[in-house]
This record gives sequence, C-alpha cells and structure tokens, in this order.
Amino acid sequence: MVQSHNPDPSSSPSEILRAHDLRKSYGPRPALRGLSFSLDRGRILGFLGPNGAGKTTSIRILTTILEPDAGHFIVDGVASDDPQAIRSRIGVLPESLGFPRHMTGIEFLTFFGQLYGRTARQARTYGMALLEEVGLEQRAKSLIGTYSRGMRQRLGIARALVNDPAVVFLDEPTLGLDPRGQQELLALVRRVAQERNAGVVLCSHLLAEVEGICDDVVILSLGQVVASGPVSEVIGQAQQSALQQNAVRIQLPSPLVPKAQGLLEKIPEVVNSTPTGAVAGWLRVELVDSIDGTSSKAQHINNRILQALIRAKIPILGFEAEGGRLQDVFLNLTGEAIE
Amino acid sequence: MTAKASLSDRPIASSRSKSPTWWLLFKRDLSELWIGGRALALLLIYTILLGILTYVLASNSELSLIPPKEMVYETLKVAIAVSLVISLIIGADSLSGERERATMEGLLLTPTSRRQIVVGKFLAAVSPWPATLAVTIPYLSVLSQGDEVFRQAVLWGALLGSVLAPAYTAVGMLVSYWCNSNKTSLFVSLGIYVLFLIPAQLPGRAQTGAMGQLLQKVNPMAATTHFLSKTLVNNRTLGEFWSWLISPVVFALLAYGMLFLFAAPGLRLEAGRASRIGKVLSRWVGLSVIACVIAALASAPALATSFQAPISQGAEQPLQISIDMASKVVKAGDNIDFHTVVTNAGSEDAPPLIVAMNIINLDAAGDVVDPEDWSPQRTQYIEHLGSGQSTTLSWRVNAILDGDYMVYMVLIPAPDGQQATSQPVASSGIHLTVTPFTRLNPGGVLPYAIGGPVVVLLAVLLLFRLRRRGIDMGGSK
Repeated sequence: MVQSHNPDPSSSPSEILRAHDLRKSYGPRPALRGLSFSLDRGRILGFLGPNGAGKTTSIRILTTILEPDAGHFIVDGVASDDPQAIRSRIGVLPESLGFPRHMTGIEFLTFFGQLYGRTARQARTYGMALLEEVGLEQRAKSLIGTYSRGMRQRLGIARALVNDPAVVFLDEPTLGLDPRGQQELLALVRRVAQERNAGVVLCSHLLAEVEGICDDVVILSLGQVVASGPVSEVIGQAQQSALQQNAVRIQLPSPLVPKAQGLLEKIPEVVNSTPTGAVAGWLRVELVDSIDGTSSKAQHINNRILQALIRAKIPILGFEAEGGRLQDVFLNLTGEAIE
Repeated sequence: MTAKASLSDRPIASSRSKSPTWWLLFKRDLSELWIGGRALALLLIYTILLGILTYVLASNSELSLIPPKEMVYETLKVAIAVSLVISLIIGADSLSGERERATMEGLLLTPTSRRQIVVGKFLAAVSPWPATLAVTIPYLSVLSQGDEVFRQAVLWGALLGSVLAPAYTAVGMLVSYWCNSNKTSLFVSLGIYVLFLIPAQLPGRAQTGAMGQLLQKVNPMAATTHFLSKTLVNNRTLGEFWSWLISPVVFALLAYGMLFLFAAPGLRLEAGRASRIGKVLSRWVGLSVIACVIAALASAPALATSFQAPISQGAEQPLQISIDMASKVVKAGDNIDFHTVVTNAGSEDAPPLIVAMNIINLDAAGDVVDPEDWSPQRTQYIEHLGSGQSTTLSWRVNAILDGDYMVYMVLIPAPDGQQATSQPVASSGIHLTVTPFTRLNPGGVLPYAIGGPVVVLLAVLLLFRLRRRGIDMGGSK
C-alpha cells in the first residue's frame, strides 16, 4: 500500500493549499481520519475515493462549510481559523449546486460578483468575460432554467471563478455530462489551472479523465488517505505490487475473443484467460505467479502472447499490463469496483 | 471557450462590498418572490378571497344587518389572518427552500456574514404584507360607506399588521432554520399557526372566563383581534385596551431576537445549529410544538364544555314559560317580534330569573346560532316574580341567514348559593323558516370584488411581460 504523503512543514513558495491531519466525525462514525496533503499553484489535484470515503466531507471542510474536529489547513497563506478570508480566496463548484431558474446567466454572475465586493458594473463586466471564458456568452441573457446540464456546469465553473480564486474546488463537475461535454469541461479545468495559475482540487469518479489531466492525486478510503502524490508516482508505486498479480488485459474484436482464448491457453505461462469488464472485447489473461513484472522474462511472455495473436491474424485493439492505470491503483487500494 | 476573463480586473482584497450584502440578498429574493410568481400567486388567491368575503358582507349589509364598522372589522381581521399565513408560508420556505434547491451552499461559500444573509431574506419575505394591506384598503373603503372607522381601520391594521406579519415571518424562518425540507418546515409552521388560532376560535363562554381571557391576552393573534374589535366596533379607546397590545409586541421582539441574535450567526448548510445542545433543543422544541398542537386540538372541546355550567337535577321549580308563536316563514332580513309569558305557579316567590334565547340551525345538524348576531337582546332578567304572578317579555329576532331554525327560550332560576343549583325550564319552540334574499352588486361592492383579482392578475401578466424584455427565451443547446 502506498504511504500517505505528509507535506513538509516548510511550505514551498508556490504552495497554495496545505491540509494537516484533518479529522471529522458524524456522531460515533468517523468520516475523515487524518487528511494531509498540499497543492501548488497551477497544478490539478485529483481527489478520489469510493462513495462514503470522505471526499465531500473533505471538500466541505476545506471550503469552510464544515468545521473539522481536529487539524487545520492554510489557503493562500490564510489559516483555517479565518474562514471569511478563506472564502474570498477560493472558488467552489459543489457536487449539487442549485441555480435560480428565474435569473439569467449574467444576472447570476453579477449577483455573486457583488457579493464578493464588486460594484454592479464591475461585476457585470467581469461576469460577461467569465461567460465568454466558459463558452456561454451567447446565452448570457437566457434564463438559467433553459440551460442544459452541461451549460449549468459551465456556469457553475464561471461562478467559482467570479472572485478570481487562488484555489478552485470542483466536486464531480462532469457528473451527468455526455462524453463530449466531459471533454470540454475537463479542457476548461486544465485552462483554469494553467492560465489563471490557480490550484485546482478535482473530485471525480472518471478515473481515466483524472489520470489524463491531474498532476497530483489523493486517494481516500474510509476517511483515510491510502495514496497521494504525483499521478505518475502513485501509479508507479502501485504497479510494483500490482504486477505481482501477473495479468495483462487485451482488447480484441468481440467475435474473436473465444478463438484468442483457445490460442492463449496453449502458452505454458498462461494460467487462464477470461472475458472481463462491462465493455465487450476485453480479455484478462492471468500468468504464472512466479514472474517478476519488471523482468525480461515478463516482456518475453508478453511478446509471445502478442505473437500468437498476430500469427492467428487477430487484430489487437489494446494491450496493457494490469496495474498500469489509475483505475487499477484505485481498485487495488480501495477494494471497490468502479462501473 | 477561448476568451479569458481579464485578470487585471482582480477583485476583492477584502470581503467589503460596494452594496451591503443584505441589500443584494433582499433584491435577489424580492425578485424571486415576485417575478418568480410565488408571492403574486398568494396575493391573487388572497384578493379573490377578499372579493368573496366583501361581497358576502355587503350582501348582509344590504339587509341592514351588519353595520359598516363590523364589516370593516371582519374584513381587517381576515386580512391580517391571511397575511400572517402568507408571511408564515414565505418565511417557512426561505431557508429550508434554499437547502432543498441546493442554493444555500453557494451563498454560504461567499464571504458574506450569515446574519446579513438572514436579514436580506427576512426583508424580502416580509414584502407581501404591504402588498396585502394595499390590496385591502379599497375594500375597507367601500365597506365603510364613508364611516370614520375606515381611517381607524387603516391605521390600526397597518400598525398591528406591521408588528405581527414580520414576527410571523421570523417564526417561519426560525422553523425553516431547523428544517432540511420544505415539507417539514411548512407542516410545523402551519401547526404553530393553528396553535395561535385555536384560542380565538373557542366558544364564547370559554373566551370570556378568567382562563379564556388569559389565553386571549397572551395569544398575540387573539389579543390583536380583540383589540381591533373593541376599538373599531365598540368605540373603545387605546387607553382602555393598550394592555392587549403587549403580547403582540413581546411576541415580535422574541421572534426577532431568536432569529437575528441566536439563529442567524449559526446559519449553515444542514438544519439547525452545530452544537449538540442546539440539536437537543431543536428536537425538544419540535416535539413540544407537535404536542401542544395535539393537546390544544384535543382540549378545545373539553375546555368549551368545562365552561358550561353543569346542570344537575335539583329541586323542581313550579315555573312555566310559554311563547305566543309556533312557526313563521320570513325572508332573510325580516324582523320577527314575539312574546313570552313567565308564570310562577308555585306557592312561594320565585328567585331572580333569567330568560335566555336559543336559536338552533335545523339545516346544519343542529348547529347553535349565536343569538347576539340575531337579536339585540339575547337574555332578559326578572328581578321578582311572586307566587301566582306572570310577566310578559317582548323579543325581536333579525333573520340574518336563510335556513331552517328553531327559536326557544330557557328560563333559569338563580341558584340559592355557591353550592346550590337550579332547574332551567325550556319553552316550546318557534319553527322559523328563513328564505333567501339576494341582490346583485350589493352596496356597489361588486366592481371591487371582481376588479381586485383582475387588477392583480393584470399586474402579474405585466410583470412577466416586463421580465421577458431583454431576456433571450431560447431553449438549451
């Protein structure tokens, strides 16, 4: 298991968020058991965990909606005992943010801009710029009730940026969006981090997407950090142990899966092969467990498998060593299945 | 998604706003209430109810049965009662509604103080009261028929309504503060309303006894109604009845104190306050309210009966009472005059006697009609009636409502002492059939009864039209 990443007490100049040993219980049930991590400017932190792991509790504590039972955190140099000052430095898109249906997009942003201290004119001007940034300038004067879910999420991100925050918290921003909407939104999140030099904390169940855009990751399970650090490091560490399982996954055209199974089971190092996952065409091939995943022998076996398939003229659509994806790390560490 | 907001326009080093945040919240909620249509819908319903009530009252007035003062008082009483319901409903939705619509978190995430959020929402939630008062004034004017009671009614109505309506809004918001769902908040708020309403609905004797008086006086709603009744209908002065204003004022101050000093600073995403004591307290308050409502509902009939004098079987009185009419058919509004003869057939002088009139509605499963509304005299007193003597009493009944009634008298000898009782004697009844008397547009009130709702409806449509200007009404892409 990957050890929890404990931030260095002496923070770096680019550090924008630091949490130290945050704890929270609801009655006798502990929801968070010592959350510690740090985030630098311009970086995106993926905040992962199965349902009930404590993600939303963590976000609510870090955004001052909830008070922790113990521990503290610092946002942009402001300690957690000054929540009002923290609120002016953060932007948040909660998991279920409601919108007033009878307001237009620009009225909504103007209202929040004013709550953050702008004059009506400044707030409106800045609101229009934000709507342009999130691609809603054409619908600025439309009632929010007429917005699609994707548009509301983008408006929510604009609302989170209305105070030009140092840290942006996005809780499941892609929930309920179609694949195109998800891609557009994640690109927007990337731009927020890069162009605004803001730290972004991104809660999501879309592990492939998190892996694609996040620089760092914190994985929570039952209120505890089970892995944290740069995404590549977390995957690398987990891969070491995961490869001891000696399995690879191969994606093939679905009708050819039985034929491939027959071929692969003739290879002495293959223990068995079984169709896997919800998506048709994936075959999980289990290898003998004496093989070290990083050795040349392992590479040799991988090559034999590939050769067998190529000789049989079976197209190989995908090939990966099990444990090489963030999803594998997640499943391995949390013991939960992600659909 | 290519352009980017200018960072040079960097906001907000401090949380200080150009406009006070309570003002921003007030404007937003006001717009949601009125342009969103909730307040207008309630106002429209209120205007329709008021129109119906005014027409009914004017119909009776046309028959010269209800004087303008009483009509104005009745209308004002209903106006205040309905305004309080509206205030309570809107207050009850204010915080739990934000939680239910998931808009609360967005507000709590801003550097706005919790108290300012509550103040802004409170002011917006109070806004229907001036509107209901403004709608009521023309009705009061037409019903007063030039009587000076109109000015008094507007003055006292505005003052007392302005004390009670915001207080009820505050109560609704307090309930809303402790509820996560609107359903619970509305249910508890209406329960509290019923709790305040019940003492005002107790039977007459229950209201006038010592306990009844106390209940009336401490109940802000009943005290207000009583005060208005005395000042508007009975021409009593403020000096005589000022003490009835204490409970509304104290109630309002308590509600404001609880809301702004205790609850508002602890406003949060979940219902109630964060402390464990707060949780326990809120649970007890909730349970107490429910228990009080149940107890009040259960005790009302018992309380009513407890104020009725127990009739025990005492010694028989040789007293007789007869009536000189057996039945009569009249139109609503007609007067019926009749006589009763009380005879002492005994060998001794009778104690002092009370003769009381009773009217029973035969159409509605024997409902008792309050004779006070029907007759200038509901009782007459006979100081002395010697052995073998008779006395004749004259009575007049104004048939206010159409229907089938039985009018009869009860002769009650005064008991000898505190531990003694006496045997009342009933007369035979007059079967009174009252046929309806209708007239269109009584008192010229019909234009108001119809016009009021139409004007409000037009205002609703105008507001929607104005709102649509400058808004792109296109669907989602």
